[in-house]
Amino acid sequence: MYRRLPALLLACLVAPAMAGGPGYVGVPGGSFRSAIRYEESGDARSVAAFALMERAVSNADFARFVERQPQWRRDRVPALFAGPGYLGHWESATGPGAAVAADAPVVQVSWYAADAYCRAQDARLPTFLEWEYAAAADAHRRDARGDQGWQALLLNDATARALDAGDAPPNAYGIHGLHGVAWEWVDDFATLMGDSDKRGADDGDKLKYCGATALAFNDRQHYGVMKRFALLSALQPVNTLGNLGFRCARSQP
Amino acid sequence: MKMPLSFLLLGLALFQPGTPAAAQALPGDSLYQLDAKVTDQDGNAGHWRDLRGKPRVMSMFYTNCHLMCPLIIENGKAVQKQLTPAERARVEMVMISLDPARDTPQALRDTAQRHRVPTQWRFLQPGVNDARAIASVLDVRYRPRDDGSINHTSVLVLVDADGRVLARSEVSSAIPDPAFVAAVRTALSASASPVH
Repeated sequence: MYRRLPALLLACLVAPAMAGGPGYVGVPGGSFRSAIRYEESGDARSVAAFALMERAVSNADFARFVERQPQWRRDRVPALFAGPGYLGHWESATGPGAAVAADAPVVQVSWYAADAYCRAQDARLPTFLEWEYAAAADAHRRDARGDQGWQALLLNDATARALDAGDAPPNAYGIHGLHGVAWEWVDDFATLMGDSDKRGADDGDKLKYCGATALAFNDRQHYGVMKRFALLSALQPVNTLGNLGFRCARSQP
Repeated sequence: MKMPLSFLLLGLALFQPGTPAAAQALPGDSLYQLDAKVTDQDGNAGHWRDLRGKPRVMSMFYTNCHLMCPLIIENGKAVQKQLTPAERARVEMVMISLDPARDTPQALRDTAQRHRVPTQWRFLQPGVNDARAIASVLDVRYRPRDDGSINHTSVLVLVDADGRVLARSEVSSAIPDPAFVAAVRTALSASASPVH
């Protein structure tokens, strides 16, 4: 009995991490009520099992990528795919240099560059819903959103005072830094057609959105999600920010 | 490099690239930096960057859309009506589907006929995974809904012969935006001047 325990523990630790390959953590699917109300309904949405990177893509990771795909170097990338700030904090076109932590999340990357990075890994960016689902967990609970105290701390997301800044423990899935020092791109950010003038309205501008409404919020207590939504829906895919990075996801077979 | 004449002619028949600009380097901000495939309403398969060569007014829509998309088409027709016949012949309207799975060349051709659009209009079916990328560079935001309809922003985008965006017009009715019409005129007069 006791002799089997270490093996079992090992299996528990290793199994989720291997679900999407090294560096990825398996996230079981489930029913999830997003803080975003999609037009179809405000009901729970189904999230299929997926794997998410354990940590955000780092400067070192991204430097290896631009070495392999030099068309994504800041001095070679077409302006169509990255704004002028792209990797602007790096010392050179090929790497971050000594002044930027190699293991810190890479920031100042456009959506196109993040998308290309994940494709090169046979992965993809997570959807907004997948990200929200995984980020609903705190260190102990897979859905900590009912905890108002925890929710309030998420107002610091993407600042130096963020909950997961530095060496914080992983969340209940084993994922680090979802509420860290940087926002993260999602695959479908361009579908987040929020309208600041119509938040919470039952019907939006039918002409502007082709016979449908803009998205609205199910639950305004979810400050962190609202902030992420407001940010991502305002971005263009070429935009780069000093506190916006990314991580990749993989669908489960 | 020499290319087979028949191949060149095929390209001409498809997208009528007009100027020798194609031989020059593509600007970094050109929409044609994007690697994507498209098929037109006559079933001709080609590349997104083959559209290079003349100014174009582009928009994205889908044929199964009955409220906004007809307005986009009417708005495009109204823009054209405000141009002189000579100008009209030199700007090509390009309607790109957001629903490539259902908008086959046949479906696009039917829509073109139903709306009686001029024969020079191009209706394009993007490759399977290319609608999203094209929408992204044109800054058309869209989201497929569970009922098969697509939520999308409605806009006409004017691009120059090299694929750089010159003007945009949000479409909310069939009435064209005067500033956008003026931008089309300016683009046409610029492209008419001799190439240096």
